[in-house]
Amino acid sequence: MATPLLLQKIRIGRVAIPVLALFWLGVTLLPFVLMVFTSLKSQEDNFASPMWAPPSHLEWGNYLSVLHGSFLLYLRNSVFVIGVALGLTLLFASMAAYALARLRFKGQGSLFGLIVASMIVPLHVTLVPVYLLTRNAGLYDTMFALIGPYVAMSLPVSIFILTEFMRQIPRELEEAARIDGCGPIAVFTRIFLPLSGPGLSTVAIYNGINLWNEFIFAYVLTSSPNHRTLPLAVWDFQSEFAANIPGMMAVVTLTALPLIVAYAFGQEKIVKGMMAGALKG
Amino acid sequence: MHKITALGGLLSICLAWAAGPAHAADQVISEWDQMTNTAASKIMNDAGARFEKANPGFKAEQAHILNEAYKTKLKIAFGAGQPPCVFASWGGGPLREYVKSGQVRDLTPYLAKDPAYKDRFVSTGFNAVTIDGKIYGVPAENTTAAVIIYNKDLFARYKLSPPQTWDELLNVVKVLNANHIAAFALANKAKWPGSMYYMYLVDRIGGADTFRDAVTRKNGGSFAAPAFVEAGKRIQELVKAGAFAPGFNGLDYDVGASRRLMYSGKAAMQLMGSWEPSTIQNENPGFVSKLGYFNFPSLPGGKGDPKDVIGTVGDNFMSVSSSCKNPDAAFKLIQALTDDVSAQARLADKRVMPLKNLNVSDPYLKQIQALVLQAPSVQLWYDQELPPKLAEVHKDTVQALFGLSVTPEAAAQQMEAAAKAELH
Amino acid sequence: MHMTLNRPAALPLLRWPRSPAWLVPALFLAPAVLMLAVFLLYPLLSSFQLSLLDWNGLGEQGRFIGLGNWLHLLHDPLFWRALGNNAWLALFSIVIQLPLALALAVLLDKAGERSRWLKIIYFLPLLMSSVALGVLAKNLYDPNFGPINLLLQQLHLDGLAHDWLGDPAYALGAVIAVVCWQNVPFYMVLFLAGLASFPEDLSEAATLDGASEWTIFWRIKLPHLRGTVRTAVLLAIIGSLRYFDLVFVMTGGGPEHASELMATYMYRTVFSGFQLGYGSTIASAMFLVVTLIAALALRLSRRFQTEV
Repeated sequence: MATPLLLQKIRIGRVAIPVLALFWLGVTLLPFVLMVFTSLKSQEDNFASPMWAPPSHLEWGNYLSVLHGSFLLYLRNSVFVIGVALGLTLLFASMAAYALARLRFKGQGSLFGLIVASMIVPLHVTLVPVYLLTRNAGLYDTMFALIGPYVAMSLPVSIFILTEFMRQIPRELEEAARIDGCGPIAVFTRIFLPLSGPGLSTVAIYNGINLWNEFIFAYVLTSSPNHRTLPLAVWDFQSEFAANIPGMMAVVTLTALPLIVAYAFGQEKIVKGMMAGALKG
Repeated sequence: MHKITALGGLLSICLAWAAGPAHAADQVISEWDQMTNTAASKIMNDAGARFEKANPGFKAEQAHILNEAYKTKLKIAFGAGQPPCVFASWGGGPLREYVKSGQVRDLTPYLAKDPAYKDRFVSTGFNAVTIDGKIYGVPAENTTAAVIIYNKDLFARYKLSPPQTWDELLNVVKVLNANHIAAFALANKAKWPGSMYYMYLVDRIGGADTFRDAVTRKNGGSFAAPAFVEAGKRIQELVKAGAFAPGFNGLDYDVGASRRLMYSGKAAMQLMGSWEPSTIQNENPGFVSKLGYFNFPSLPGGKGDPKDVIGTVGDNFMSVSSSCKNPDAAFKLIQALTDDVSAQARLADKRVMPLKNLNVSDPYLKQIQALVLQAPSVQLWYDQELPPKLAEVHKDTVQALFGLSVTPEAAAQQMEAAAKAELH
Repeated sequence: MHMTLNRPAALPLLRWPRSPAWLVPALFLAPAVLMLAVFLLYPLLSSFQLSLLDWNGLGEQGRFIGLGNWLHLLHDPLFWRALGNNAWLALFSIVIQLPLALALAVLLDKAGERSRWLKIIYFLPLLMSSVALGVLAKNLYDPNFGPINLLLQQLHLDGLAHDWLGDPAYALGAVIAVVCWQNVPFYMVLFLAGLASFPEDLSEAATLDGASEWTIFWRIKLPHLRGTVRTAVLLAIIGSLRYFDLVFVMTGGGPEHASELMATYMYRTVFSGFQLGYGSTIASAMFLVVTLIAALALRLSRRFQTEV
């Protein structure tokens, strides 16, 4: 595409671009379509027909048997773990960002640099020590085992985004508040937190999606369905369904559903959140 | 400020939600096994309920986890120093690691206290869990041999009969291939299913002592011995003859990839543990009537007794971890898991516990039971017998043999080099 | 909480303390720094410490063997193979994902509001968890029942129907294709953001000067995106070097280590092979590799930046 010859051939571009658009549309959608088709087939139907054939009749039983299992338990655990982890991340990250953006102290620049640099740490390096730490703290196989690592893995990017964000908040507002007698907590909670709304929602969305899909820490640090999160439902349900591919596809569809539903309601916000997260991360 | 208050409130609600009802810690006996299908896990749960009823105040907290995931999870939990009170294993190498680290309770005194219980089991049932003269587990599940199960309809359609020799087997492969059917379904992603072919070939070619000598490093035993090389050649002979349905090294046994091949008629046979019909009964009951089985064929000039089996008396063994706060109750749970009610239920689910006075009427099970109990040698799966590090090398080299990416000689040398470093 | 605010004396931070000056920042930074220290910094250091042990992870402590594991690592063909696979992943991420993502972003940017629904759909793969996607992809690739091979056979292209995940020649490529599928939207969004920040009047001025849309794109917009492209390349490299998820779910690093990555090799060594010490060595080496290459790439891109 980068050849200068093409530069002048505007017409090729005119054709190529819609073709690419449609092609990628197909590539994106097809796996989802196949997934939903298969999840609605009976086992016999699935053996008899190719995956792209629509189900001959809709077998909702697949979904019912998943929902009757411990699926909702996994969902509840995910909501809990991610809720707490996100809450703590937002709180800690905004506090740190406030200090980094507005307060003056020695080593400020290098601390900020260090936190930014820690974004590249391969998280799997920490897996074994975190696992040993969890065992020594007696938190193995509890949902609390996940919260620490989840907060820590979300913090660097969150602090980075929020620091950049808070730097844009006009100093005059802060000074006015200080003159009114506001202490640091009041300045933080009354000025900086409310004005960082868009930054906070970006951070929440970006980390929320990442944590929602996090798998390996949850896999290593928990063991019983009572404490496992949604991505592990797929893993654990393989035991139950084994060769029942439609059943498995129903599990996969159901685990993908919560985020897709959330996306349907707030696509603009989610895309923007990921956009900002991506750009900063 | 409102936001923070709200957040705090939310947090405390969440925390309250997470905290469940409490039993005193030593009253909860946790138990893990890898019995995941509906019928098998029900047997475990029912036994747990019987235990709770007989021991008021105690709670059996049971988890059933899929094979490969189970192995990893157990390892992680042991590493975390928080293994379940009662756990299932295959005996052999991995159990030995846990015993060496002092994390498994010696059950010899418990069994000595209750001779009536111990004597129910056939004596060979304790072999795989006896380490330095001490017994660390109770055989719980099945009397298992790896056998070749086959689709009788397909064999009848192409006028085939179960092969007894290698050449007959190659002929079966040829006839099936001519009809666009793969001879064997093999799902070798986890590598142990392919290892079954290798183990049988080594036994049939070199005899039962070949492997034993290589492991104990006695009588000049070596993993580079001719029988190991020859076994690799035979595997590659099968692969080159197109005996396996495509994709075998990437297919996942745990999610039923090999069984799907049999159900759909794309493959006619599978070499697998004799638990397979039980799994099939749970998964696809209509298919069970089409199943037949036969023993691994003999090899021309082979030294091994064709009655030798690769398998286990006990299949899964239940052990108690040292960290268990109430080992007495844990042992009682094991007794419930292995009592006569459980034995009968397992029988109905096509699994034969290694008990002396078990009345087996199902002809298939009866034959398997006789096959294993009368076999001159019962060799435990290599990947369970060997120390874990060496087991990984074994599985890797055999998968590479199937993938034709290593010569039989090189594979044997690789294994021998690792064994030299690991076994002293 | 609301009540205490009216009684300022109760908590020290309700007023600005005279001294010491570090107190306020320290208190605001404490929770975050503490979390990072416990769950990031400590594990990193601890990983190096564990790498000096011969330990199966069971029992209390391992045997100290100095640099024994590190020497073994240098001669471990599997580690180098894994590192090589990471490099392939990085290369393909850059040459496939980025151009594709850029093309899609330009397309969406040009079409503007009309392509809103396209953008919504393109974005979907990013929402799927790797486990769910991996399980789905395994079924699509299945050599006996999967739609990919079935379609190829029906089109009489049997020669193209491979044993995607079971053949060492194709396994890595097959997984990389799925990684691309999942990540293209990420870079697309990244480029879209870059394009959105493009000053409209600049292209208007160029149009008035008679420049075609393509000229504007190649001569003005793309140079404007330089920073974004640099970020994207950097992210692709770092992301590829530490990649784990889909490989773990789809192939577990197999067959015959054909798709082994540093992270999956580390995981298997620790949790299948009972070698916690050596696994930590692999992990620490992975950290060194990623840090080194990230620093190198940053430096190179800075030099590039000052030169241009």
